[in-house]
Amino acid sequence: MKNRIKVFRAMHDLTQEALAKEMRVTRQTILAIEKGKYDPSLELAFKIARYFGVSIEEVFFYEVS
Amino acid sequence: MKRNIYYLLIGIVAVLIVALFWWATAIHSPLPVWIGIVGGIVFLYFAKKQVTDIVEDELSAKITEKSALRTLQVFWVIFFAFSAGAILDLLRPPPFKEPFWIRMRPEPPIDVFPLRFVGYLQLGMLCLVIFLYVGFRMYYSKKYGVWDSDEEQD
Repeated sequence: MKNRIKVFRAMHDLTQEALAKEMRVTRQTILAIEKGKYDPSLELAFKIARYFGVSIEEVFFYEVS
Repeated sequence: MKRNIYYLLIGIVAVLIVALFWWATAIHSPLPVWIGIVGGIVFLYFAKKQVTDIVEDELSAKITEKSALRTLQVFWVIFFAFSAGAILDLLRPPPFKEPFWIRMRPEPPIDVFPLRFVGYLQLGMLCLVIFLYVGFRMYYSKKYGVWDSDEEQD
C-alpha cells in the first residue's frame, strides 16, 4: 500500500515527530508507514486522514505490484 | 515519568536481580530469586503505566507479536525434538546380562538424568528462548524499517 503522508506533512509544515505525537505513535511508526514498510491499522489510517482533513483514499491507495 | 527513566529502571531492576541471584547462591536458597524476578516484573509493569511518553504503539506491538510467535514456533520444534529423545531414553528397557530365561532379575537401573543437569538444561532453554526472541525482534525491526534513517534524523 502506498501513501502520500510525506506530501501532506510538507503541506502542513509538519515533522515526523510532530505528526507522531499527534497520532500517539512513535516517530519510527510514521517513518515506516511513509516508506511503505508498514501498513497502518484502519484506525490509525483514518486518524491520519482526518488530521489532514481529507478522505482516507487521498492519503492511502492500493497499487498492484 | 519520561521514557528514559523507565529504561533506567529496567537496568536497575536487572542489576538487582543479578545481585539477588548471587546472594541466593551464597545462602543456597532460591527464594530471593523467585521474589526478585516476580517483584521486579510487577514493579516494571506498574512503572510502565506511569510513563507519559509513547513506549509502545501498534508497530512495536506487531513486532512483539510476530517475534513471540516465531520464537514459540522454533522453540517448540527444538524442545519437542529434545524431549522425544529424552523420553526414548527413559523408555529404554532394562538390560539383562544373561538371557532372561536364566536370570530374571534385571540390572540396577542406569542413572537416566542427573537432577542437577535439569537446571543446566533449563538455563540452556531459557538462553535459547532469549536469543531466539532477540534475533527475531531484530529481524522484524529491520523488516518494518524501525532502524531506517531519513533526512529528519540528521
